[in-house]
Amino acid sequence: MAKRAKLEIIKDILEIVKTNHNSIKPTPLLRKSNISSSRFKEYFNDLMRKQFIEEKIHKKDKLISLTEKGYKFLEKYKTIINFIDEFELQD
Amino acid sequence: MAMHLAGRAIQGGLGKGLGKLAVPGFGAEILYSFIIIACSLMIYFGTKELYELSSHKGIKYFRLAFLFFAFAYFSRSFIKFIITSFDIKIISDISPRALGAVFGTITIFIFMYFSAMAIFYLLYSVMWKKWKSKTIYNFHALALIMASATVILRTPLIYLAINLILLFFVTLTYYISRKQSHKKNSLHIIYILLFIFWTINILDILIPNFFQSVQLFIYLASSGVFLAILYKVLKKTGSN
Repeated sequence: MAKRAKLEIIKDILEIVKTNHNSIKPTPLLRKSNISSSRFKEYFNDLMRKQFIEEKIHKKDKLISLTEKGYKFLEKYKTIINFIDEFELQD
Repeated sequence: MAMHLAGRAIQGGLGKGLGKLAVPGFGAEILYSFIIIACSLMIYFGTKELYELSSHKGIKYFRLAFLFFAFAYFSRSFIKFIITSFDIKIISDISPRALGAVFGTITIFIFMYFSAMAIFYLLYSVMWKKWKSKTIYNFHALALIMASATVILRTPLIYLAINLILLFFVTLTYYISRKQSHKKNSLHIIYILLFIFWTINILDILIPNFFQSVQLFIYLASSGVFLAILYKVLKKTGSN
């Protein structure tokens, strides 16, 4: 299987959160993301920093959910990929 | 004999007429600059959201290329404005001479730096993954050297050599990169035309009257290339 590009991994993580009713614990998110825990940590911090996801505490549980910017990324993902491909900007 | 002379007279008249038609006035210069600057800024701002969401380096350098094109064309139209207003051939001829030389040198330097960086950013946007991240600093240094050489060595032959070497390097690098990627679209034709017309535009500023008889055609073709890129950008970003 070909190595996933960075943008594709971000899209996959955000999709997992979205399909889980926009509320998922970090451990199942790591498992479903299909990447190593060190890489997951990098992506997770990156997504938090870019404000694509946010952490909420619900009954002592830490839950991850998408922000408006996260939804916007998913909405524009195909446009971004098509643009990169059209202008040969490489990913 | 009379017929022959009349034919030659008509031909001469037509030639002169066509020559005049091909030399644009200052109004056409302003319109041309406006089209290119507007296209460049629309590309820059039209891709803002895609970059903010993706933080993609290729998109970043692509946007910067067009921002630098806008800066370069702005300084180009400024040079043209000065040349027309003072009725001189080159910008350093402004009176008083000493002031003109300093003013002209700075303006040409800025124009050359932005011009070279615009082309380098565009090339870097397609090559950034293959090249080291520090390559862009080398390009800044190269652009500064080119701008310095342009203002120090005031010889048309040097201008021609510098810009033809740049054109050859950029086109060859881009061609090799494309050959490896095996992609098939019209982008390579548009980019190579952009490189060619960009070089012609630089030479048009540096060497007065070099392309005067075909200036209008150059302006139309250059505008067409920028409009084609803008169309592709708007189509892909979904902007209306």
